[in-house]
Amino acid sequence: MNRSCPPIAKSLSVILTSTEHAAPAIVFEGLSVRRGHTAILADVCATVPRGGSTVLVGPNGAGKTTLLLCLIGEIPYTGRIFAQGRDGSAWPRLGYVPQQLQIDSGLPLLVSEFLSLEHQRRPLWLGLKAGARARARRLLDLVRIGHLQNRRMGDLSGGELRRVLLAAALGHEPELLVLDEAEAGVDFQGERLFWEVLDAARRHYGFTQLMVSHNLPLAAHYATHVICLNKSVRAAGSPRDTLTAANLLDIFGVPIHLYPDQCGGADPACPQCGAWYGPEHLPADQPASPIPARQRDGLTPPRCRECSLHMPEAAPPENIAREKKHA
Amino acid sequence: MPDLSPLYALLGLLPLDCLQPRFMQQALLALLLLTPMAAVLGVQVINFRMAFFSDAIGHSAFAGVALGLMLSVDPRLSMPLFGVLVGLAVMTVRRKSNLSADTAIGIVFSAVVAFGLAVVSRASGVARDMQQFLYGDILTISEGEIVFLGLLFLLTLIFQAVGYNRLLSIALNPVMARVHGVRVALWQYLFAILLALVVMFSVWAVGVLLVTAMLIVPAATARNLARTAGGMFWWALLAGVSSGFAGLALSAQDWLATASGATVILVSCCWFAASCVWTALRGRRRA
Repeated sequence: MNRSCPPIAKSLSVILTSTEHAAPAIVFEGLSVRRGHTAILADVCATVPRGGSTVLVGPNGAGKTTLLLCLIGEIPYTGRIFAQGRDGSAWPRLGYVPQQLQIDSGLPLLVSEFLSLEHQRRPLWLGLKAGARARARRLLDLVRIGHLQNRRMGDLSGGELRRVLLAAALGHEPELLVLDEAEAGVDFQGERLFWEVLDAARRHYGFTQLMVSHNLPLAAHYATHVICLNKSVRAAGSPRDTLTAANLLDIFGVPIHLYPDQCGGADPACPQCGAWYGPEHLPADQPASPIPARQRDGLTPPRCRECSLHMPEAAPPENIAREKKHA
Repeated sequence: MPDLSPLYALLGLLPLDCLQPRFMQQALLALLLLTPMAAVLGVQVINFRMAFFSDAIGHSAFAGVALGLMLSVDPRLSMPLFGVLVGLAVMTVRRKSNLSADTAIGIVFSAVVAFGLAVVSRASGVARDMQQFLYGDILTISEGEIVFLGLLFLLTLIFQAVGYNRLLSIALNPVMARVHGVRVALWQYLFAILLALVVMFSVWAVGVLLVTAMLIVPAATARNLARTAGGMFWWALLAGVSSGFAGLALSAQDWLATASGATVILVSCCWFAASCVWTALRGRRRA
């Protein structure tokens, strides 16, 4: 962690020390990470609002996890990260929720023991203190799995395990909670519950949350701030301003519509597989011919390159068609 | 040098004829110190998936002895020192490089064994050391070594009291442990040093061929029998110590007369087999 960085730039120090509620909890400034000749992150500049739920969005290999690892001081980087603890300490108290634990199902480890690992000084082989037991129970109640405290870690379902990991991180009373795809690989219900529990905890404790997620609808629902990342920051702001169809198309290369009212015209995408059919992605047998021209010439619609279904006729956008009818 | 005779007298009170000679009492005392250490460190070896690591350190004993012969240093000094060095080297490679752990260990493993063989092939008259290295000889353990084992035992006890929770946390997810304030690097290196020392003494007792068994088998038994992480510690201890005691006593019986180290391991393997049966039965009852 770049704790011994040269004196903070004046403007930033003003931002960080201001007592306004909207002051950012973290500022990334010109952050770059290289591995060999490949740039993993290039000149990332972003802020994470204090007390908010910030979600990092981007495709695999975009450097989302790398950015988190820089923040928690796990890998070296160039550039700066500014953050400050609530009581003016140099670095906020961190909580970290990983995606997985390296356990096999046979390991005898109770959920209550796991939650006390980093809390109880007395070694586990001398037993859990009553206080640790009660604390574990409290933490589990917080994530709504209080009944699991005497279950083995290996016997938990994927969704339960994620919430136990969340409870463990909450047990450190973090000022900044970092989650690395902590809810990935869980069914819809489990994932929704995870976000719900997390959101409730954030509102209750007031910590700042920085989370990597691939679930765009849930991010759109629960996030207060979104950073779209693909090597560098592509967009940042409120979910409604950042998770637009145009931005998501830019980052992921496939059309994704989270907000129905933002679907402007007809989507030039294959109805079967969603592959984008834009000027740069024309099917192989129809080179360089914009859609209207193709129709004028009366050619058969081209096949989608991904699933070989015929591309749709470029109908006028639905909302425009409706207007016409009204007229 | 502390006087150990009261301890021997205590062991002599056990109602077993084979335990009357002094060398048997010494061997038993050494085993009673060594097996619990190996057993509880084995719990962590299993959690860290480091069985191969301990095997590599065991094999470096040979190179350590060879190095001692070459530099005319007492092998009893050069062996543990070299083992610690190898342990630290492997741990560093494991932490820093992006080689997979078993590849890194495999390379170090080959290097130390080849080095030992090369030195031995030049010098003559080390066949006896070779024998001891392969099969171990707990019956020739000296008083000084027992005192050292006692010190190591205390060290391990302190280490386990302070570090048991932390090591488990590191084994589960090192990044999470570090973020949550565990000094991961420090504990990993301390663990490597302690493990190397215990492995070196286990080589003394049971030989390099069985040293991994001494670490792994009691801990694996404990995994089958225990329900909690705390319980695993005690089950490993019980399985390790009882195997040590029973193995030594059995090997000294006239009708068996086997190598003590091998017998100890065989008994602990019986423990493991029994634990597997128990697990299977419990599983069936649950289903």
